[in-house]
Amino acid sequence: MAWITKNSGTMQIDRRDEPYLTDEIKQKLEDEVVPRYDTRMAVTMPALHLVQDTHGWLPQQAIEEIAEFLGLTASQVLDTATFYEEYWLKPHGKYVIWVCQSLSCELLGQQGLTQQIGEHLGIGPGETTEDGKFTLMSVECLGSCGTAPCALVNHKLHENITADNFQKVLDALE
Amino acid sequence: MTGRTHENDPMTILKEPVLTKRIPTHPFGDPADRKVVSYKQYVKTDGYKGLGNALAMDPKDVVDLVKAAEVRGRGGAGFPAGMKWSFLPPEDGGRRYLAINSDESEPGTFKDRLLIDFDPHIIIEGIAICMHACRLDTAYFYIRGEYHHQREVFEAAIKEAYDNKVLGKDSRLGKINDRWPDLFLHRGAGAYVCGEETALLESIEGKRGWPRIKPPFPAVAGAFGRPTIINNVETLAVCAPILERGEDGPTWFQSMGTQRPEGAPPHVPASFGPKLYGVSGHVNRPGVYEEELGITLKDLIEGLCQGMRGGKKFKTAIPGGISTGVLSTEDYDVKLDFDITKYDTLGLGTAGVIVMDEDTCMVGVARNIARFFGHESCGQCTPCREGTNWMAKMLARIEAGDGTTRDLDLLLEIAGSMGALPSGRGATICGLADGANWAIRTIVNKFWSEFEAKVSKQRYVSLSVVGG
Ligand SMILES: Cc1cc2nc3c(=O)[nH]c(=O)nc-3n(C[C@H](O)[C@H](O)[C@H](O)COP(=O)(O)O)c2cc1C
Ligand code: SF4
Ligand code: FES
Repeated sequence: MAWITKNSGTMQIDRRDEPYLTDEIKQKLEDEVVPRYDTRMAVTMPALHLVQDTHGWLPQQAIEEIAEFLGLTASQVLDTATFYEEYWLKPHGKYVIWVCQSLSCELLGQQGLTQQIGEHLGIGPGETTEDGKFTLMSVECLGSCGTAPCALVNHKLHENITADNFQKVLDALE
Repeated sequence: MTGRTHENDPMTILKEPVLTKRIPTHPFGDPADRKVVSYKQYVKTDGYKGLGNALAMDPKDVVDLVKAAEVRGRGGAGFPAGMKWSFLPPEDGGRRYLAINSDESEPGTFKDRLLIDFDPHIIIEGIAICMHACRLDTAYFYIRGEYHHQREVFEAAIKEAYDNKVLGKDSRLGKINDRWPDLFLHRGAGAYVCGEETALLESIEGKRGWPRIKPPFPAVAGAFGRPTIINNVETLAVCAPILERGEDGPTWFQSMGTQRPEGAPPHVPASFGPKLYGVSGHVNRPGVYEEELGITLKDLIEGLCQGMRGGKKFKTAIPGGISTGVLSTEDYDVKLDFDITKYDTLGLGTAGVIVMDEDTCMVGVARNIARFFGHESCGQCTPCREGTNWMAKMLARIEAGDGTTRDLDLLLEIAGSMGALPSGRGATICGLADGANWAIRTIVNKFWSEFEAKVSKQRYVSLSVVGG
């Protein structure tokens, strides 16, 4: 949490002609989301989610486009985007493995598990495999403590995981 | 319901399931039989009767009924819901909001998820009752980002509610503040602090989740500066069965739970009603169980949870999410109700009970918890931002065998100097720091010898002495 600081003054922004916030997304937001809130700023999180769900992550250009669409400055949108852990400001692997490291999961063997998964993939938490297939993340409680240890693979929750059964889950992924 | 084993289970007190009436749960049913309860099935099993009763009443009388029942908040602080509802200013024609707290990110807590997963309409009924009672026209269901499946289930239930005119245009609630009542889902994005009620409002407004300084309280100036009620999922859900029983609701509700502590003045609320307990850790059958407030930890572990894993001995438990601190080994028999503060804990919290056996290293537990708070601190207040991370580093060092006795005193001093409560010297804006304070202090104090055995001796010099 807290802040991610970066040198925005000299940062080079990659640009492409095609917008990330497509007309289709804009229309959807305008019709379905904007009417739900009293301010356009409140559409920031839904907009970030929508672009990320479509594109996978949030390039700087997308942040600027969202800001323009909502009548905000890019720094306001960036402020929000950097605060929340689920928003990706850089690309990640095709599959993101979010292993819970909070107490109930650690009590039931998470530490060994994270290590085994990491060794199998050849990466540590926060890293992505060279082929771009997997990104491993250590995160806090996933709200599934009764079936610890657990992990999300993208949006799918896996409960009561062991090195063996989780290995099978990973092997089954394309 | 199938698989009822209640009669031969002497450890349970709850006579019939309330919140889990439609969600098969031991000892009344088998979790393997769980399915999402549709609108139709919900109505067939007396669902939305409570809302019907509420709508036949004057809104103020509904507030009074909930007040009479003494429903205490199920989200952490145990604040009486009816009282919170009566803090709203008079209507002025403008918008008034309800924010439903479904952030559920406190380690050890997974109870609201059970309701969302299988019986979303009991939540929506509670929401509708609250909107009617408090004259709130717009509700946001703030759900944590990682609840992907739950988000889908709940969106589908909202749609059913709109299709059946619980909410939306032509809602049976009628217009509120000249608007048809609406319920929208707002998806969080991975930040524990957004469970704090004012951070949650900031997040709804599209900002970073920084808790606000109070006052003003949300009832007066909440979402978008307008009057707002914030309640936990379970708090609202439990209002449905109360209203279902109409005037008898409060008496029925108070037939469960524990009375106010002996000798306590009348303004001290009791612990009434059924409660969802989420038990995790070293027990044979972890899970969410519904029980009366006041079931003992021992009965919960030995009864519903079928004892400690591997026949190990009980060492300690956290009563309601890691913020609440740990119990001593001798406190195995404590009643799990709101009065649990007398066992040197922060409170019942979320009733997410984490059980630990004799082999658990308490230094490791403290290290894990300090890391959590360090990771989740929003960074606004110096004692919390710096203190939590400082403690995390120290505990990692102590665990690695590089600590000194001085570190232990320092740990207690840092922990004791953060928090919004008097125990944290009122030094911070929100309760996240109180959680870190209570968790670390109670672990170090109650398991001192374990920490002492890990460190080498060094004389302690207080920070205040170093500074001056
Ligand atoms: C750091 C922090 C995190 C919190 N997280 C949650 C949460 O996830 N869910 C919740 O219902 N309450 C949470 N709370 C408590 C809320 O601030 C608030 O008291 C509660 O939602 C009020 O609802 P209730 O009165 O129905 O319990 C949290 C509080 C703090 C300080
Ligand atoms: S106590 Fe911690 S989490 Fe709460 S507002 Fe202050 S810095 Fe943020
Ligand atoms: S501690 Fe891992 S899911 Fe809660």
